[in-house]
Amino acid sequence: MVPEKKNMDILYHSGTVLILLGLSFFLSGTVGLIRFPDIYTRLHALTKADNVGLGFVVSGLALQSGSWAVTAKLLLIWLLVLIASSASCHLIARSAMQKNIQPWTR
Amino acid sequence: MINFSRRFFLRIFFFSSVWFTLTGVDITSWVVGVPAVLIASGLSLMLAPPSQYQVSLAGVFRFIPFFLRQSLHGGIDVMRRALSSRQLLDPGLVSYTTFLSEGSARILFANTISLLPGTLSAELHGNSVTIHTLDRGLPIWANIQGLEYHIAALMRISPGKRNSS
Repeated sequence: MVPEKKNMDILYHSGTVLILLGLSFFLSGTVGLIRFPDIYTRLHALTKADNVGLGFVVSGLALQSGSWAVTAKLLLIWLLVLIASSASCHLIARSAMQKNIQPWTR
Repeated sequence: MINFSRRFFLRIFFFSSVWFTLTGVDITSWVVGVPAVLIASGLSLMLAPPSQYQVSLAGVFRFIPFFLRQSLHGGIDVMRRALSSRQLLDPGLVSYTTFLSEGSARILFANTISLLPGTLSAELHGNSVTIHTLDRGLPIWANIQGLEYHIAALMRISPGKRNSS
């Protein structure tokens, strides 16, 4: 009983570490959204940082859940968010291009 | 016709598994689930008709680690540029002509470009993709070609064949 509980603790705490790591990606994506100069660079910040952030949060929660059904559900949710966010990112960039919004250059 | 209904049932099976994974064993959820699965299957057949592609399983297993590694790089790259006290951006537009054929291969290509480090697909016209990059100093060509070859392997498209459409 005792070693099993210890195992669960290790899983739980590694999960916490992964979730915190994921949150730091969300935070940096938001910082990028505020600091970057134009619509295109802001899209980079949001899509990439949030996708990686969500990936870490999902892996952390999967470790903490200790259940295969929940893990599959979380991975599926991540995949659906990936598809939705990369498609909407492309659509926003395309509509900005069609409105002739020039990218910020150095 | 037999072929068509087989494909319809395959998609119903696919979307049912998605629904089952999301909702679990809760029977009452299928009140919404059954219509949703039927509509999704019908719509997907209309919007993405069955293609000639044969997805390669080996290609999938090579694509997943490649994709995860590149997304992680992309995330770290953006994080570094967002948090740095110096201005690390040198954005620009580049155009890339792909040999991938029309349909799912090209769409997967355009969507995953946005997850590679420093690149974002801004426009897709025929076989030409306009890419916005965060830093013109990045090895954009190498990254995009790598992605293109992975998708070609995934969909079993031979890289030499260039479509002129």
